Amino acid sequence: MSLGHVHAQIDRYAYTNALTKNSPVTKIFFALSTLIICVTSPSPLVPIIVFLTTTTLLLRFAKIPVHFYWSLLVYPTTVVIASCLIIALFFGYGETLVAIVLPWFSWAVFKNGVTMSITTFFRVEGALSCLYFLVLTTSVTDILITLRRAHIPMILIEMSLLIYRYIFVFMEVAAQMYTAQKLRLGYSSWKKRIRSTALLAGNLFIRTLEQGERTFMAMNARGYDGNIRTLDDLPRPRMLSLMGIIFFDVILVFVAIMTMHSWVL
Amino acid sequence: MPFRLENVSYRYSDGTLALDSVSTNFVKGKRIAILGPNGSGKTTLLLHLNGILRPTSGRVYFEDSPLEYTSKSLLRLRRRVGYVFQDPNDQLFAPTVKQDVAFGPLNLGLPTDKVKESVSEALEIVGMSEYSDKPPHFLSLGQKKRIALAGVLAMHPEVLVMDEPTSNLDPRAAIRILRLLLQLNQKFGLTLILATHDVDTIPLFANKLCILSKGKIVLEGLPEETFSQTELIRSLDLRSPRIAHLFEILRRENHLPIDKQLPLTIGEARKEILRLLDSKNMIEKEGKSYIEARTRKVNHT
Repeated sequence: MSLGHVHAQIDRYAYTNALTKNSPVTKIFFALSTLIICVTSPSPLVPIIVFLTTTTLLLRFAKIPVHFYWSLLVYPTTVVIASCLIIALFFGYGETLVAIVLPWFSWAVFKNGVTMSITTFFRVEGALSCLYFLVLTTSVTDILITLRRAHIPMILIEMSLLIYRYIFVFMEVAAQMYTAQKLRLGYSSWKKRIRSTALLAGNLFIRTLEQGERTFMAMNARGYDGNIRTLDDLPRPRMLSLMGIIFFDVILVFVAIMTMHSWVL
Repeated sequence: MPFRLENVSYRYSDGTLALDSVSTNFVKGKRIAILGPNGSGKTTLLLHLNGILRPTSGRVYFEDSPLEYTSKSLLRLRRRVGYVFQDPNDQLFAPTVKQDVAFGPLNLGLPTDKVKESVSEALEIVGMSEYSDKPPHFLSLGQKKRIALAGVLAMHPEVLVMDEPTSNLDPRAAIRILRLLLQLNQKFGLTLILATHDVDTIPLFANKLCILSKGKIVLEGLPEETFSQTELIRSLDLRSPRIAHLFEILRRENHLPIDKQLPLTIGEARKEILRLLDSKNMIEKEGKSYIEARTRKVNHT
């Protein structure tokens, strides 16, 4: 699976998952509040609860296929494991678990280093699941309209809107150019590969300029006056869901405080 | 009379003269096809009709008043004259179909309810209602073209300008778009001005044809009359519809007594063939085959 393909897939689920009809406000609120509690929690217990909850929501309620969710988790998780191993083996101070002391070299694994590594691992996994929840259940359109309601500056929203739309157009153009170059042996040696990549990037840049000009013309033809107006007809957030999320967050904070001092190896 | 062009010339900044003093009329309620080879200035001509390009010299009149290029009067013009671009990717910029179709009506300052109504109505007309929440990159080219059309129809224009409505479409999608356009003209009286180089489809929808070559209008009139000038058309790097070509050959090589006005569509060809058969039967009944006599004569020489 290429990276572009994964992005297109995520986008597809964002528009087709079983939670599309729920208010984006609810979904964004859930993802962000849980994310913040998750990464600030001192013990791994809260991140574990968060991970299990969001994963259940994604698989059971949003109906995201397990294998796709799994494939999204695998790559970052390998990086996280590697980083956490480094933390466990080389960080920390105080009480040691293992120590090797030689006259010219000493190395030790510290208790709090391992603690930190485990906490970090679960925090990252919990945070990942929150973000995946957001991107897999909420389309970019909905997020942008919600941000507009939150009075984020228009220029940022309009730019994101256009960038988002044309990423897909240019991904297609780039793929076509790449195939055309490949068919004429543009990638057959290391040197040619560098040259072809440079040509592709340069050409793509020119194409974006031309596209910009044409799109501007087309927008003018439909009465564009400097403001991109969007139709705001998102479903209203349900009070019950919002209350539920707040309740869930309170429990998480409570658990975090309770386990603050008890969590040490 | 929606449009009158008076000696309109347009020179691009790189010096190419894309339009060379074009003068013509586009009558209200007509279905006008603008035909020309690549680079003949079709798109440039169309872009003048809703004020995107401003003529270097000459004037464009809409309903007998010359176009003004202030933003206010352009907005007024663009509400009445819709423009559909050739490549729907140029036009579809919004993240979902519904948002894109709503762009025009929102720019007109309509209230939200009205906008929603126009959007669903326009999507209904082009038969894309069930796609309203999809992003454009999920759609096929034919579907994108229909959405681009809906985006313009939602503004309720009186004139629809469309650049290459059938280019790159498969035959079914092409016919679907043409049928839709025909319907819009017949049901809502929309004036159609379409640029194309697909000569075979022109007789199916157009009741006026302008042929453009090197920035000049070289021929205009009814499609049947215009396409009958086969020599001129060929000299312009164009061709007549296949069916007209066939009948032209039958007349020239086989000396069949075919009408001066060549049939252009399957329907017309059928009528003409039946007419020929009928007259042949008449001759045979009288005891001698007129056509056979003619062909024998050709074979001898």
